[in-house]
Amino acid sequence: MQLRHCLGLALAVATSVPFAARAADSIKIGFPIPLSGPTAVYGVPILKGAQMAVEQINAAGGVLGRKLEILSRDSKANADEAVRLTRELIIKDSVDFIAGTLTSAEAPAVSTVAKENKIVFLAPSSKSTVLTDEQHIHPYIFRVASNTDVEGLAGAEGMAKYPNVKTIVTIAPDYAYGRDSIAAFIKALKEKAPNMQVVDSQWPKLGEPDFTAFINAMMGKKPDAVYCSLFAGDFVTFVKQATPLGLFKAIDNRMVDGGEVGTPDEAQALGADYPYGIIANSYDPVIWSGGNEPPEHKKFIEDLKKFTNTQYASGWSIMGYEMIEALAEGIKKANSTKSDAVSKALIGMTFDTPVGKRSFSEKSHETFAPEYTGVMVKDPNYPFAVIKDPKPMPTDFKPS
Amino acid sequence: MAPSFLFSQFMGGLTTAMFLFLIASGLSLVFGIMRVINFAHGSFYMLGAYLAWQGVQWFHPTGVGFWAASLFAAVAVGVLGAVVERLFFRSLYGREELYQLLFTYALVLILGDVAKFIWGTQQLSVSTPPVLVGSVQIFGSTQPFYNLFMMVIGPAIALAGWLVLNRSGVGRLVRAAQMDREMLDALGANVGTVYTGMFVVSSFLAGLSGALVTPIQSIVPGMDVLIIVQAFIVVVIGGMGSLWGTFWGSVIYGEVLSFGILIFPGFSLFSVFALMAVILIVRPWGLFGRPL
Repeated sequence: MQLRHCLGLALAVATSVPFAARAADSIKIGFPIPLSGPTAVYGVPILKGAQMAVEQINAAGGVLGRKLEILSRDSKANADEAVRLTRELIIKDSVDFIAGTLTSAEAPAVSTVAKENKIVFLAPSSKSTVLTDEQHIHPYIFRVASNTDVEGLAGAEGMAKYPNVKTIVTIAPDYAYGRDSIAAFIKALKEKAPNMQVVDSQWPKLGEPDFTAFINAMMGKKPDAVYCSLFAGDFVTFVKQATPLGLFKAIDNRMVDGGEVGTPDEAQALGADYPYGIIANSYDPVIWSGGNEPPEHKKFIEDLKKFTNTQYASGWSIMGYEMIEALAEGIKKANSTKSDAVSKALIGMTFDTPVGKRSFSEKSHETFAPEYTGVMVKDPNYPFAVIKDPKPMPTDFKPS
Repeated sequence: MAPSFLFSQFMGGLTTAMFLFLIASGLSLVFGIMRVINFAHGSFYMLGAYLAWQGVQWFHPTGVGFWAASLFAAVAVGVLGAVVERLFFRSLYGREELYQLLFTYALVLILGDVAKFIWGTQQLSVSTPPVLVGSVQIFGSTQPFYNLFMMVIGPAIALAGWLVLNRSGVGRLVRAAQMDREMLDALGANVGTVYTGMFVVSSFLAGLSGALVTPIQSIVPGMDVLIIVQAFIVVVIGGMGSLWGTFWGSVIYGEVLSFGILIFPGFSLFSVFALMAVILIVRPWGLFGRPL
C-alpha cells in the first residue's frame, strides 16, 4: 500500500512538473465541449478545428510572443457538467479564456459563469437567440455561430425559391433550438412567401429513433413541401424511414433543412440513400462543387484533412477554427490577455475566416454568420451528395 | 380523418412495436428468469448495430452482405454475452439489486467508450438490403417492404420463444430455474449452464435487433441509452419476465405513440409516459406480469 502511494505520487510529480513549467507562460483556453455521447459527433470536429488553429498560430510564433494552449474537457452536452468544468478551469487551472460548449443547453449556462468571473467566453455553435439577447448579453460573451433567426430567414428564402408550393409541414427536434428555429422560419415565411402556409408541425424528441408515426402524420396533411430542422443522426434516421414511406416522392423532394445537413458528415453516412434535390446548408460546404472556391478555404480544407488524417474533412471544424482565430485577433488587438481589454477589442471587431470576413456585432456580440446553402446533387467525383454552387444565405439579414 | 391515414398510423405503430419487442424480449427474459436488471442490454444492441455496419463493409454492401453481417453481429454479441456472464454476472446473482445496477451501468459506460474508440463519433448508416427496397400500397397507404418484414420477424420470435419455454425440455429447466433455483440445483440440474444459456440468447436477441434496425436508423454513439429507456417502458407496461407481456407491451407502446401524436402533436412522448404512470399505479406488476 505504502509503495503504491509513493509510486502514484512520483508519477503525478513526474508528469505534472514539465507540464506546469511549459504551461507557465502559455495563454490558456479552457474548452468544455461534448466529447462523448451522441453530440460528440459535433464536439470532436469543433475541438479538432480549434486545435489546428492553435497549432498554426503557435508555429507562427504564438500571440504576443506567447503560445496558445487548449485545455479540453468533456461536457457531455450537459449544462451542469459544463458549468462545473468551467468553474474548475477558471479556479484550478486559472485559464485566461473560455471557449467551447456545443448546445444551446450548455452555452447560456456557461455564459453566466463567464459573467460572474469576468472572463471572455466564445461559443462556437450554440444557435439559440437566448444566448445573447437583451436580457442575457454581457461584455464577456461572444457567439461565432449563426442564430435561429438567421437560420429561419435562410430557410424561408430557400423555400420561396420553390414555385407552386402552398402548404408546408415542419419537423424539428423538441427543444430550445428546434422550437426557436421553427418559430423564426414561420415568421420569416410570412414576409418572404406570404402565399405559403405552414399547416402542421411535428416535434419528435432529440435523438428520436423512430420517426414512422411523425412521417405518417406529416403525409396525412398532404403538404407540397417540408421544412426540417433535424440534424446529425436524427436526420439520417428520418431520411431512412421517410424514403420507403414515400414522403420524398409525395413532396417531389421539395424540402429545406436548416440543420447543417449539407456537410459531408451527413452526406457520407447516407451515401446513395441521401434525398438528392433537397436544399441543405452548412457552415462550411467542405467540398466546393461548382468551382468558385475561395483559395483560403481550399488551403484550410487541405490542412484540416492532414491534421485530422481523414479523407473528407468535417463541416464543423471551421467553427472551432474561426473561434480561435477571432480570439487570437482580439488578444493581438488588445495587446493584452486581460479579459476586460480583450472584450473591448472583440466588440465590433472584424476578423478573417477561410470563408470570408466576419464581425462581432456591437449590440449582441455575434457574427450572424450566413450559412452556405444550395441544392444537394450527385457529383461524379464523390460517392455522396454535395451542395451545388454553395451560396451564403440569408442574403439580406438585418439584426432587429 | 381518412381511413387510409388511420391505417398508415396503425401500421407505423406496429413497426415501432416490432423493433421494440425484439430488443425488449431479451431484457424481459433475463429479468424474468435470472432476476437481473441488465442496463447494458442497450449497449449490446448498440454493438449489434456497429458490428452489422462493420460486417457490411467486410462482406459486401449489397446482396447477401446485410444478412451475413446481421448474423455475424448477433452471434458476436451472443458470444460477448457468454463471456460477460461467465466472468462477471456470475458473482452478482443473489446480491442486492443495487450491485447489479451499478455493475451493468459500468458496462454501459465502458462499452459506450469502446464503441467510440473503434468506430469514432461519426454517424454511420447501412442501406436496406436490395430484396426489401421499395414499398407496396395497402388500403391506399404506402407500406415499406422492410417494415412488413419486421412484422413477420417479431411475432415469429415471440412464438418461437413461447414454444421453447413451454413445450420443450430446455424450457422446463428454464421455468424451473425461474421458480426455485436452489431446488433445481439440488436436483442435480446444472443451473449455471441454464443461466449462461439464457444470457447468450438474450444477448443474441439484442445484437440481432441492433443489426436489423440499421437499415432504418442511423448508428450513433448514445443509441444504447436511448433504447434502454424505451425497452424498460415496454417491459414495465407488459410485465417483467412475461414474453407475451413484452409483445403486447410493445404493441401498446407503438400504437399509443403513433396515435398520441395525433392528439397531442406538441408532446410526442407524453402519451407513452402517461400510460406507464397509470399502469405503475394501477397494476405495478404490468399488464401480463404476476405480482412479485
